Amino acid sequence: MQAPPLILTVERNLRNLELLNKFLTDNGFRTVSAANMEELDQRLLGSDPIALALVDLAGFDKGIWERCDRLRQSGIPFLVISPQPSPGTQRTGLAHGASGILVKPLVVKELVGMIQNLMRT
Amino acid sequence: MNGIANSRLSTGVQGLDEVLSGGLIRGRAYLVRGGPGCGKTTLGMHFLTTGIKAGESGLYISLGEPEGKLRQNAAASGFNLEGVKFLDLSPPAEFFAEAESYDIFSPAEVELEPTTKRIVEAVESLKPTRVFIDSMTQIRYLSTDAFQFRKQALSFLRFLTDRNATVLFTAEGSSEIPDDDLQFLADGIIHVEFNQQGRTLAVTKFRGSGFRSGEHSMRLGDGGMTVFPHLVPEKIQRDFVSEPMSFGVPEIDELTHGGLERGTTSLITGPTGTGKTTLGLQFIKEAAGRGEHSAVYTFEEGVDTLLNRCGDINIPVRAMVEQGTLSVVQIEPLRYTPDEFARMVRNDVEAKRRRIVMIDSITGYGLCMQGRDFVTHVHGLAAYLRSVGVTVVLINEIDNITGDFRASNDQVSYLADNIIFLRYVEINGELRKAVGVLKKRAGSFEKALREIDITRYGIKVGKPLTGLRGILSGSPELMERPA
Repeated sequence: MQAPPLILTVERNLRNLELLNKFLTDNGFRTVSAANMEELDQRLLGSDPIALALVDLAGFDKGIWERCDRLRQSGIPFLVISPQPSPGTQRTGLAHGASGILVKPLVVKELVGMIQNLMRT
Repeated sequence: MNGIANSRLSTGVQGLDEVLSGGLIRGRAYLVRGGPGCGKTTLGMHFLTTGIKAGESGLYISLGEPEGKLRQNAAASGFNLEGVKFLDLSPPAEFFAEAESYDIFSPAEVELEPTTKRIVEAVESLKPTRVFIDSMTQIRYLSTDAFQFRKQALSFLRFLTDRNATVLFTAEGSSEIPDDDLQFLADGIIHVEFNQQGRTLAVTKFRGSGFRSGEHSMRLGDGGMTVFPHLVPEKIQRDFVSEPMSFGVPEIDELTHGGLERGTTSLITGPTGTGKTTLGLQFIKEAAGRGEHSAVYTFEEGVDTLLNRCGDINIPVRAMVEQGTLSVVQIEPLRYTPDEFARMVRNDVEAKRRRIVMIDSITGYGLCMQGRDFVTHVHGLAAYLRSVGVTVVLINEIDNITGDFRASNDQVSYLADNIIFLRYVEINGELRKAVGVLKKRAGSFEKALREIDITRYGIKVGKPLTGLRGILSGSPELMERPA
């Protein structure tokens, strides 16, 4: 039997991370997390294939965009989560290969739909 | 109590059941709304503890205050919350201390489910018959929008009432967050308010039942909440004969053509010192002689002063009080609201079968009002008393000792079936007193004035003063008859 898809969650706020991971496991996904840049670098070197990444920009510096580029190069689709709606972030995010920009707070039903759509493609 | 009242659920608040025509209807949800400190929680405590006393089960769902604090406050107010189950959903202290709070999902997405789950578990395991939710406003924040909230609130209440629980829920209605939607979905609404006129309670909606409308005074104290419903005159049940009742002074009986009719309202009016109270007490004394019980509410005079001076003028008030045919109650006007006073009079009339009630004076009664509609309240009280066959004597003091004649200062003359007036008359340079009848609805009366004097043998009344002119002009004087 095939293992459930693995989703990488990048999130500095531990409570957010906990909620996000709980939500994803409840919806039948496996998760692997990164709470800072170093962890993220390690995860990107990991052997388990990552099906999708969710990247919360809050608390990260510009270095995060370089990681986004690496995700794109590795062929991993990813969604960028932004603390507030901002056209700048939106442009930059898309330029670095994000499949979409989500603004907090996330709506559970929308998030499920979006993840499923990205998995299919 | 009749059958309908028995099927109702008592709120445990004295007076409120009467406003609700016997109590709450089982299995319904009622909204208690009001500002801070108005008694919403106290009402809920009454509701739950009364249930426990009756062998029912009660659940307190608290979304604001923690259980420990609630129990403390309840104990301080004299409630025994033993047996009441608590579901404490108030935020714990750690909530604030936790540096990292989430922002990735909205609270509605994260907290609604666990909250709902805890409520469902508690209700399923306790199967309470009375539930108090304090407050529903908190649940509003767990909904993504107004529509969701309404749907959630409705289904939550439905969930409880389907399990045969009677629900009381509170709401903090403010201009920023109106609670109109909750008012629509509740089966009944109880408003508690605290304004310049004191604490009031009003019911504005009660599906499937009548209720007593209007604002009723309410008292919050150590014993909890007490409501004083407006007096509403009973449906006319005249099981009394409207016969004239004598004053026991033959001349006054002549003046009034027999006395005052039973079940009427009489106004004894006049300036200070003319003997209004004495005349009223004389009427009561005569009634006591027939074995009828009376009550006097004095707003101005101390009870002792009254007892002593009546002894001096041959009206044995003290003996009547000792025999129990008369009760003299001194009222401090500023302590009572009109509804409270009316309730007190009513309880006394019903318990002791009073036949005459005298209020001395309505000016003092007016002080209770503190700006309320005075005439309406006097009217309500008098109409209630009349409807149960009680004869009402109102003492009214007018300011001017001489001068233009006025029946009363306030517009209360229309309330009275009978008006007896007393006034000073100058006769041959002496200040004398005269008594007359201005109005008598139930019959005829003597049109002339008579001189009246209060002596140590009682009230002395003379022959009709004929030949007096200028009575109403302000300076009445005796026309000397031609010799």
